[in-house]
Amino acid sequence: MSRINDVGGMVGFPAIVEETDEPGFHADWEAHVFAMNSALIRRGVYNLDEFRDAVERMPPAAYLEASYYEKWFAAITTLLAEKGVATPEELTGG
Amino acid sequence: MADRFGPGDPVRTRTLDPAGHTRLPRYARGAVGEVVESAGRHPLADDRARGRSTPPQAVYHVRFAAAELFGTGDHSVTVELWEDYLEAAAGRDPVQDGSDHER
Repeated sequence: MSRINDVGGMVGFPAIVEETDEPGFHADWEAHVFAMNSALIRRGVYNLDEFRDAVERMPPAAYLEASYYEKWFAAITTLLAEKGVATPEELTGG
Repeated sequence: MADRFGPGDPVRTRTLDPAGHTRLPRYARGAVGEVVESAGRHPLADDRARGRSTPPQAVYHVRFAAAELFGTGDHSVTVELWEDYLEAAAGRDPVQDGSDHER
């Protein structure tokens, strides 16, 4: 069934505001998330479609509240736990 | 395996709503459009997302009249769709080519 990501054609969302000279990342942690995801895919821990699926499996309320790279981080956390690479506790424990 | 469809072919998207990842958006389900061009061959994302090994299959750019998708609008929408998402459709209201403002 359709998930919270599949909202094309729905009304009620705010307008998309384009920033002038928008930087690739708005904070260093976003660049780290981007690099980590690329490395995990290249290492074959999961593939791009599993990653997209993990983003789409976020709880709908959390999905709507999360920023773009917060969604990425949530999906990475989900997949690392499911693939037995690291537990959520290990990831937050530092 | 040869591509099943070519440019100009009318196609209807499937109505199946799979549990899990798919690249056929909800707004384009069960709609009739026209193949614009081939977009290469790629493993079906639905299968890859489920960890299934899958051979490459044809992907197409398919153009829909906005009114077919949303019931209103005189522009067109082009979506990249795997062959598995499509079945042959009888020719219907042809999608306007080029200019999105003439009907």
